[in-house]
Order: sequence, then C-alpha cells, then structure tokens
Amino acid sequence: MPDTIELNGISHHFDTAHERIELFRDLSYTIRADETLAIVGASGAGKSSLLAIAAGLDTPAGGDVRFNIDGGQVNALTMRASSGFIFQQFHLMPELDAIGNLALPLRLKGKRNAFDIAALWLEKVGLKDRARHRPHQLSGGEQQRIAVARAFVTAPRFIFADEPTGNLDRRTSESVAGLMFDCARETGCGLVIVTHSRQLAMRADASVLLDAGQLKAAA
Amino acid sequence: MNRLTLILGNSWRDLRGRDGRISMATQTALLFFLLTLTLTSASIQSYLADNLDQMLGSDLVVESHSPLTEDDEAAFRAMAGGLSVTQLADITLTHKDEWARVQLKLVDDAYPLQGNLQIGDTPVATQRAVSRGPNVGEIWIDSRLAVKLGTQVGDILTIGDVDLTLSAVLFHEPDRIMEGHSVAMRAMAHAKSLNGASIESSKGRTRYLVTADEKQQQAIEKWSRQTLPGASVTKKFGGQHPLASFWQRTENFLGLASVILFFMGAVALDMTNRRWLAKMRYRLAIYASFGTRTCTAMLMALGEWLAGFLLSITLASALAIWAYAWIIAELQGYFPGIHAAWHVAPALKTIGLFFLLLLALQAPSFIQLSRASLLSLIRNPTENSNVWQRLFWSIASVTLLAAAYSDNKLLTGMTLTAIAAALALMVVLTWTVIRLGDAWGHRRAGLLPFAFFMMRQRLFAKSAQVMGLGLCGLLLLFSLMLMRDLGTTMEGYGRNHDGNLMIAEAQSDQIGAIHTWAQETGSIVRTLRPFVSAQLVSVNGQALADMQKPSDTLATLKDPIRLSWTDAMPQNNRLVGGKWWRQGTANWQQISAEPEVMTDMGFNYGDTLTYQIGGGSYDFTLVASHAYQPGAGSITFWFQVPLSAKTQIDAPTRYMGSMELPEPAWDALAGLWQQYPTLSLVPLQELTERFDQTLGIVTKVTSGYAAMVLLLALFVLAASVSGFSADDRQKNGLLMSMGLRETDCLRLNFYDWGVTALIAAAGAIAGTWSAGVLIYQAQFNLTYRPDGLWVTAMVLAMGATVCLVGYVACRQSLKVSARDLMAT
Repeated sequence: MPDTIELNGISHHFDTAHERIELFRDLSYTIRADETLAIVGASGAGKSSLLAIAAGLDTPAGGDVRFNIDGGQVNALTMRASSGFIFQQFHLMPELDAIGNLALPLRLKGKRNAFDIAALWLEKVGLKDRARHRPHQLSGGEQQRIAVARAFVTAPRFIFADEPTGNLDRRTSESVAGLMFDCARETGCGLVIVTHSRQLAMRADASVLLDAGQLKAAA
Repeated sequence: MNRLTLILGNSWRDLRGRDGRISMATQTALLFFLLTLTLTSASIQSYLADNLDQMLGSDLVVESHSPLTEDDEAAFRAMAGGLSVTQLADITLTHKDEWARVQLKLVDDAYPLQGNLQIGDTPVATQRAVSRGPNVGEIWIDSRLAVKLGTQVGDILTIGDVDLTLSAVLFHEPDRIMEGHSVAMRAMAHAKSLNGASIESSKGRTRYLVTADEKQQQAIEKWSRQTLPGASVTKKFGGQHPLASFWQRTENFLGLASVILFFMGAVALDMTNRRWLAKMRYRLAIYASFGTRTCTAMLMALGEWLAGFLLSITLASALAIWAYAWIIAELQGYFPGIHAAWHVAPALKTIGLFFLLLLALQAPSFIQLSRASLLSLIRNPTENSNVWQRLFWSIASVTLLAAAYSDNKLLTGMTLTAIAAALALMVVLTWTVIRLGDAWGHRRAGLLPFAFFMMRQRLFAKSAQVMGLGLCGLLLLFSLMLMRDLGTTMEGYGRNHDGNLMIAEAQSDQIGAIHTWAQETGSIVRTLRPFVSAQLVSVNGQALADMQKPSDTLATLKDPIRLSWTDAMPQNNRLVGGKWWRQGTANWQQISAEPEVMTDMGFNYGDTLTYQIGGGSYDFTLVASHAYQPGAGSITFWFQVPLSAKTQIDAPTRYMGSMELPEPAWDALAGLWQQYPTLSLVPLQELTERFDQTLGIVTKVTSGYAAMVLLLALFVLAASVSGFSADDRQKNGLLMSMGLRETDCLRLNFYDWGVTALIAAAGAIAGTWSAGVLIYQAQFNLTYRPDGLWVTAMVLAMGATVCLVGYVACRQSLKVSARDLMAT
C-alpha cells in the first residue's frame, strides 16, 4: 500500500479586517505517493493554502488530514521530515555554491558522504561544471534545476512544488518540468504541483482544478 | 560531524559579511575592555592581599580616632600577647624657609611588633633593616620629604618648641599598608620626644599593633567593638583589607562606565541583528523545507552564534593580555612590585557575565526565529519589526547590569533617567517631524516631500536608527563634555575660590594667633566656620560598622567628619527638604544633612543619628536637608546642628576657613607653622598641584574611555549604514529605473540622513542637557552651563559625519547597476 495523504472534509478561510474569505469547504481528496498530481486554479483560489495543508505546514479550519507512511498513521512533524519542497523563487542559499546547496539537506541529516551524493545529482541535472558557482552566477533555469535536485536528494516520500516554473520561460520550463517528473518517477516519490501552466499540469498522472472551494477533475 | 562543520562554515561565512564583521568587532571591543579591566583589577586585589599578609607589622591592628583611657589600655594589654601604641597626626614640618604637610607617626619602644623598618642615610642610600623605631630626640623622614625640605642627616628639625635631630631617611615601615593609597609625606619620631608639644588635630588617630593568637584576636575584636565603637579592626588573615573597599568603589565607578559602553555596544549589535534575523529566518525556513525540525534548526542557529562568540573571546583575550601587560607596567609606579599573572577565575566570570548579557540581547531574535516558518517561503507574510520588544530587552538587560555593578544608586539612576528621557524625546521628535513633513509634502512635488514620504513608510526602522545614533551621540557628547568641564574646573579653581590660602583646620587657641599674624602681614581672614570632630557610629540603633556596602559616603562616614552648628541657614546653603529649625531653638538634638549623603545612605527624615564626639555619645533627629549654593564662600558641611547644640557638646571647637595673602606674606608662613605645627593651612597653589596630579590620572583614564566610546560610536554608525544599505539599494534602484539621475538619488539620500542626523543630534543634546543638570551638581559639584557655541559645533559635526558616511554608502550602492540593484 502506497504512502498517502488523506484530506477529509477540510475547509479553510482567511479573515481580513472587513470580511472572511472562504477558500474551500468540505473538501476531500487522497494524494498517493505512487502518482504525480497537479492542482490548477485561478489566482486566489487557495491552491497554495491547500498545498500547505497537504504538506502539514498549516492546519485546516475544519475537517482533518491524515498522513499515512509505511502503513501507519504519522503526525505532521514526521510527515514534514519525509517531504521536500520546490518553490517558484528557487530559494537557494545565496552564500553557498551549487554543490553546497545540493549537499545542504544531506549534511543536515548527518550524511557523511553528502558532497559525493550531491556531485552525482549535479551530474544528473547537467550542471557538473557549475559546481562552484554561486546562485547569482547561475541562470533562473539552472537555479531551479539545482532546487529540484535539492528536493529529491534525500529521497523523500512526497515533493510539494509551488509554481515551480512560474519564473521561467517556456523552453526552460519544459526542461525543468521534465526533470521533476523524471526524478519523481525514478525515485517513486509522490509529486504534488500547484501551477497555472496547463502544459505542466498535463504531464501529471492526475490533474485537479480548485474552483469555488471544490476540487474537480481538470479537463 | 557534518552538522558541526555546517555550523562552523555558516558562522564563518556570516562573519565575513559586513554585518558579521561589525558585530564581531563590537563584541570583541566590549569584551576586550571588560577583560582588561578584570585582569588589572584582579592583579591589584592580589597585590593588596599579598601586602596585607606580609606587611601589617603585627597580627592585628586596632585604629581609633579617640585614644583609650589608661584603664582600657591596661585591659587591652592584658588580652594581647604584645602591644605597640602609635599615634598619627597631620602637621606642618618646617626647615629654614621650606615647609611641607606631613603625616607624623609617634611610636613607642615596642614598635614594630613584626617585620622590619628600612632606613638609610641619604635619599638615595642603600637601605638597611632595623627592628625598632627612632630613639627619643630623633626624627626620621621619608626621602621625598628630605628632598622637599632640603635637609640631611644631622640637621635639627623643630616641632612646636621641641628640637629633634634628623638621624635617618625612612624608606619603609611594616604597617605602611594601613595608610592605604595615601601618598602623604611621612615622618616618624619617638612618642616621648614630643611630651611637651601639642600635636592634637581632628584627624589624629591612635593605632594599636597587637600580636595575638586566634582566640585572643576574637576576644579583642569583640571587646573593641564595645569599648571603641568607631574603631576599625584589621587582621592579617581573613580581615577586611584597608584598601579593598576603596578599590571596590573604583571598580564600581568603572562598572558604570562599562555599563554605558555596553549600552552603546547593544545599540550597534541590535542594528546588525536586524539583518542577521532576516537572514536566519530565511535559512531556517529553507532548512524546514528539507524536513529539519525547528528545535534542531534553532540549536544550529545558536551554535552559529556561539561559534562567533568563541572567536570574539579568542581575539579579545589576546588583545586584553597585551593591554593588561602594558597597564601593569604603568601601574608599577603606583604599586611597586605589582606583577601580571593569570587570573583565570575572574576572567571566566567576566566572560560568563558578558555571555549572559549578549544572550539577553539576542533573546528577542531567538524568540522570533522560533517562529520562522516554511510558509514564509510560499506566502511572503508581513514581518513585525518588534522594535518595542527589542528595546525592552536591551533596556532591561542594561538596567540589571547597572543595578548589579554600581553602588552609587543616585548616579546610576540619573544616568539611566537621562538616557530614557533622551530616547523618549527622540521617538516623539522622529514621529512628529516625519509625520508633519509627510503632511506638508502631501500635495507638493520634489525630492524633499518624497524623502518624507519614504521615511514615513519606514517609520519604525527610522525610529530605531535615530534612537541608536542619538543615544550614541548622547554618550559621546556627555563623556567629552564632562572631561572638558572637569579639566576647566580644576584649572580655574583659583579664580572661583575665595582667598588663596585655605584654613583646613585650626584649633581655638590658634585663632587669635592667626588674626594677629594676618594683621602683621597684611593678610585678610575671609571666612571662619566652627566645627567639632564627630564620628557617626549608628543610625536608628544600627551600628555603622555593621553596614557592608561599597559606598564613598559610607567609607567617609566611618572616619570622623566635621559637624558644624548654625542658627540660621548659611548664605551659601539652601533648604532642599524637611524643616529647618527656628532661630534660637532650645531643641538642640536636630540635624540637617546634604541630600547626596541622605540618598547614598538611605536616610529618612525622623531617623536618629548617633555621633561619638569627644568621648561622649549624642543623638540627633534628622529634620532637614541642605545643599550648597555658590556666591557666599565655598565652605560647607555635610551635617549641621542648631547653635544651642554647642553648649551641650563637650569637645574642643576647631575652625575651617579661608584667607587672602599678599605676596610678601608667604615667606612668613613658616614662622606661623613652626609655632603651631598642627595648624593645617593649604595654599591654593598646593591645592591646584594636587588637583593637577589627580587631573593627570583622570585625564589618562578618561582619554582611554573616550577612545572606547569613539570606537563604539563608529561601530554604531557603521551598523546603522550597513543595516539599512539593502533597503537603500533597493530604493535607489527603483528610483533610477523610474528615470531619476544619480545626483537626485544622492540628494534624496542626503535629505534622509540629514533629517536622521538632526533629530538624533537634538535628542543627544537634550539628553546631555538633562544629564548635565541632573549629574553635574549632585555628583561633581559643578554648575552646568552649556556652551552654546560648543553645542552648535558638536551638532554640526555630528550631522556632517552622519551625512558624509551616508553619502559614501550611497555612492557605493549607486556604483552597482540598476539591474543589480533590482535584484536585491
């Protein structure tokens, strides 16, 4: 049985000074680690909030979320320890070079051969010759390739990607998307992507549309 | 291991950044100052303790201002293994036309009980050790005195009507340590030599050197507290050192200076912390995206900060050891034989205290860090600047440090009040000026209105910047102003003092002779105020000897003070509180005290003060408080009682006052002194020489201190510019992208820094003014008269410096292309 994230009748909202903005109500869905999922929707629909709840970063205002790993239910903290993230803004450490950024999660987990593994991944994403370059010396596409590799390097159960190609041109987007999906399939890791890009969403095993607070199968 | 190398790597990278360098330099400078102070202080303490062990001249010393009666002395002898009685008095010794104030020690045949005296035949002769003092009819004087009087062994010196033969130059006596830090010139004679001459004075002391075992020592200590309530008891082992409380008071004063320096350091650190916090929040959020737990990430952040702290300890220790060696070499002139040594425990204690203080300053940042969330990388939430929280922690830690370090609550309270008032003023000014400026510029075009608009958007950050710079300016200005004014006051003492000869002490029978001498020489007696020598022994029944707090006032009150009487409020005094007595009152048991004494000792109106006067005990009720006011002579007293008290007190009346001598009268002074050796007259020239000596030491210490203040001021300025440089770069980039020229950016920047500097300078000036008004009169007896020109020059200098630094920083940021500026 694959690892899963069960969203059971969850609802969420934001309170502003004047009004309450409902994001979604009584929403249910099960995310599986053996498939890739794309969540699409208009700006402000609540995609990023849904992603944060699914990743255990935020708790919903109503309903409950269950994280099942290795056949047992775990809490949000354990879930987060088994997750990776890819951001729209890349969020590489500016003071570290490419290989330092890649090795960082491994070093944090205490891996002795962190730099060896990082070097393998760097080769895999085609940036072997850029190992000693700092983020500001890399293009946007190169930075995001490092960020993708960094998310996968610790072999997590789930990867959450928030608009991962939002800052890239079409050609670079395709290349990064290809890398993401290849890595996910190769490592058997669940990939959840929030995106506006129809092309990116079409690459996923499943694609859902968040509209009017409900998830619908995307066309 | 990987985490540890990551922590060290991160820490090293942070330290190489501009904020990291400023933070490291500030920490290192503060720790360097505190460590140097600690090591020097520990060496002096250890030196004093060693000297006490080896040089007391006996097992125990009892010193009293009123000698024992014959019966009591007999009882004392019965308790002790051995006893030597010495008397000490301040007299004026003359030789031909030369004269000098001297501390005369009259010794008996038993002196000293332990140790040796070192004497020689000339001031530069080889010393020889002898085991007993001078014979009857002989006198020994110290080498400085011999040079001053121009005498040599074999000369005759006259005290009163007694001729004494100078038989040796005195280099060292074993009970020298009892004199503490006194540098008075010394003479020694046999007690029986002066049987005919009177050497009584209010400062006269009788010292009993005792040999006794531990049991006997305990019995003597107990007995002396009952028989001689005002006496001090010093034991060779385990006793309170005569210099210890003096040095502790000095340390406490330096402690307050350290508190001020620490305050400045805290401002610089707080400014760099703003950027550090943003960086760490980002780092921790990214760590969280790899599944790292918050507590692990927090521990790593703490570890990174600790690594930086350890590096600053290493640097500060190396610098402190070098400075310590240099200071000890300088101090050898004051403390012969003092040497540098490793004082590990006090140094570790200081580092520990410093660590806790830095941790307290860092606490708000760590609290905010614990709230760092991965969500911030997805949602870009607004971040609170937490100015008030940071301000609270900074002030709380510094106040606690001040309370722990300083014994002078009044001075500490005044300093902190002035700082708090200046901070409040700067906040009000910042908010008012910027809001008014923004309102003014709302419908106007141009760069100045835009500058106000931008400042309004960054009001919290701007307030923090203004407060930091203003506080730094306040402390810098106050230190420099105090140094300048103390120097000017000391130099100008002669112009303000009434008369050119001070009558420090004259006995009743000498007054007639003084008037006669004045008439003969054409001198004028300006003022004469009567007093008795009185020692405060208890307050509301609690013995003063039981009070154990390091205080200048308490230390002074443990010796006899001058108690004066007056019917009406003297013209150079004013009533500060309480109720002054009616003229001609019969209720003589009333007393008035100076406010500083009351505050330092914690006296309240209605307290009963018990004095030992001339062998009797007298109670007075505290009813009023008086303070000095200039204009009618400079002689004033800490304590005053009604005129009717005089008839009730059985003690010799003495006088102090001032005289004006014409030039020819100075040569005739030696004749007056020869006749009355105990007459204490201090020429103004001598007084100013003493001031010059003190001023020399004060200047050395304050110059070093001012250098530290300046250094930290530079750090604050650098931190202020660095902390806001990213914002400025972004702002400039945006403006250039909108078509503004470089010169426009520079002008905008100039307005921004100009307004900041002016508000900060106004706050600094106001703070300096309130500190001056509060502290000058109360602590240094100076009248605060701000010099308009000097203040204006300082404001302009401060404004120019801040604008110049801002300009340089802006030029640097503008060198970067608009594309790079936008990327920040």
